[in-house]
Amino acid sequence: MAAGSFKEKLFQRYLIWLCRPARIKKHLRARLPSDRKPVPVDRCRIRAAALQLELNLHKSPFDYADEMHRRTREAVDRGAQLIVFPEYNNLQLMGMLPGIEKIEENYRDKDSANKEAGGGGEEEVNLTDLYRFMSPVVRPLVHTVFSSLSAAYGLYIMAGSYILADNGEIVNRSFLYGPNGELIGSQDKVHLLPVESGWSLKRGSSFSVIETALGKLALPVCMDATYYETFRLIELAGADIVLLPIADQQEYNYWLALRGIWPRVQESALFGVKSALVGSVAGFTFTGRAGIFAPLEITPNSDGVLAEVEPFDSEAIAVADLDLEALARLRADHPWRDCNSALYRKYFPQIYRL
Amino acid sequence: MIIFKVAAISLAGIRLNSVDHYSRDLSGLIKGCGAGIVVLPAYSSLVLGLGCGAFMSGPDFAGTLYMFSADSEGWNSLFFELHSTLARKNKIFLAAGTTVETEAGGYYHSAYCFNPAGEICCRQKQTHLTQVERELDFTRGEVLELFNLERLNGGSLKAGLVVGNDARHPEVSRIFALLGADLVLCSGALEAGINCWPQAAGMWAQVQQNQFWAVEAQLSATIAGQKYGAASAVIGPCEITPGLSGYLARGYPDTPAVTAVLNESDRQNIKSSYPLLKMLNREAYTGLLSL
Repeated sequence: MAAGSFKEKLFQRYLIWLCRPARIKKHLRARLPSDRKPVPVDRCRIRAAALQLELNLHKSPFDYADEMHRRTREAVDRGAQLIVFPEYNNLQLMGMLPGIEKIEENYRDKDSANKEAGGGGEEEVNLTDLYRFMSPVVRPLVHTVFSSLSAAYGLYIMAGSYILADNGEIVNRSFLYGPNGELIGSQDKVHLLPVESGWSLKRGSSFSVIETALGKLALPVCMDATYYETFRLIELAGADIVLLPIADQQEYNYWLALRGIWPRVQESALFGVKSALVGSVAGFTFTGRAGIFAPLEITPNSDGVLAEVEPFDSEAIAVADLDLEALARLRADHPWRDCNSALYRKYFPQIYRL
Repeated sequence: MIIFKVAAISLAGIRLNSVDHYSRDLSGLIKGCGAGIVVLPAYSSLVLGLGCGAFMSGPDFAGTLYMFSADSEGWNSLFFELHSTLARKNKIFLAAGTTVETEAGGYYHSAYCFNPAGEICCRQKQTHLTQVERELDFTRGEVLELFNLERLNGGSLKAGLVVGNDARHPEVSRIFALLGADLVLCSGALEAGINCWPQAAGMWAQVQQNQFWAVEAQLSATIAGQKYGAASAVIGPCEITPGLSGYLARGYPDTPAVTAVLNESDRQNIKSSYPLLKMLNREAYTGLLSL
């Protein structure tokens, strides 16, 4: 779908009208509490929730808003002060496109045919065009939904990441909302998957660390956790908690899933909250297990896991308390971590030269 | 096609009560493994020195290491000669584990590798110290050495030695990988107990983010009443290992040796189809240059 023709422009305007902030706010206002009671911040016990979202295509922005609200409410009921949504949290909104079921059906048919034939899929739908087309619809909708939810419940919400157009470029961007509903941070994915490079995504070139009442938060995206550099830079910028949205396009395997945030949390002595998108759409299948991770030294079972959901392909939630004071004590008196500046000065200019 | 057989030896079952017993037992085990590249664990020099009575055990690990460090020079000559002979007689590359040596007034935790001619082909000082090592005034190495592992019938791999605590510091493995390492030989020693997680956070994690091979030998021995034991392993990128586990071979803490065959074309294929290191975003790493 190229966003060029008159019909397409008209339809895009219709979607923008359908998702206009005033309409979404009104819808949510009727459902959200008006008497929020923010939980006081205790640095020894910050309750975080990592959501695992099942991918469902929504035909209406109200359905999307209701779904995000339902999952937020689920976390709030568990006492969460910090909620993390997954990567590609706008895929559900593709359901508003007419004919999306047909596209999906084609992908499914082709996928099974390819599997039988042992061949690879040939892309017919230009996803970059779809993301560009939906971007002016998605952006205000997402902002309205998560701003309203965070303000209504007085908590921090990392809204997940979204593929959006920005100044002519396409980016995969995560957003963080504060307890007054304000957007307090965003982060463009810095390390792209080959498939994302194929969609002509522009990668980010730095990492944000946001100071909040819950400590310093960072919000890299999925593949960023494959690289130690991400977490080291975030740690050097003073981060305490990393909020990582993922959407892993692979069959679930324990070891493959272990390669991301878990070792990075060990290397850089941080807390890690991983949310996951699971399910299938348009030929893509996502798996994962949302979880909350910490250095081995401060987890009860010495396994680096504070909480992790069981299923890898259905909705779930992981909730755990993060003790920032314990983290600070560990960092100050760490049994094995060390820094060798002379070594880094010798090699980094060579290996990281542009 | 380059194929290497490698072995990681834990020293479990090796008699340490005399240099002669050690040499005979180790030689027998090496022959049984049939590997061209053999790796011994960290503190191999210390446990042999303690076992055969050349050194006294202190009240604890730190005290023992301190006493050993202060007086290791003469012992190291014997240790090197012994492993040079083992490498030459068995026609193997032998990463002989680690010792403590003194240089310019500083103590270094160092690993040595001998080639099939019995020559030292790599000496690697540990670059990141544990808290205990810092308290003992150890000094950090500031160089990472790569060396060639050639096969008699052609083909070679570039290798580096990873010493003890360096396995937990990703900078070390990343430097090795970006300098072109195909394989790292890691000599480790972890306190016995539930230590599969520190191990996974060490060499296993580094292999996954750098797509090289690792042969990890973990010490099975007791030092000053403290038992050491973890799973020696041969590790590769998940995609080219059974069950996608990342392990080509993995023992128990008291397994004397684990062996595996490294098929270099498998590794090159995964590096080509999932080019992790090509997807580095150096533009974002400028903050690391000011460390």
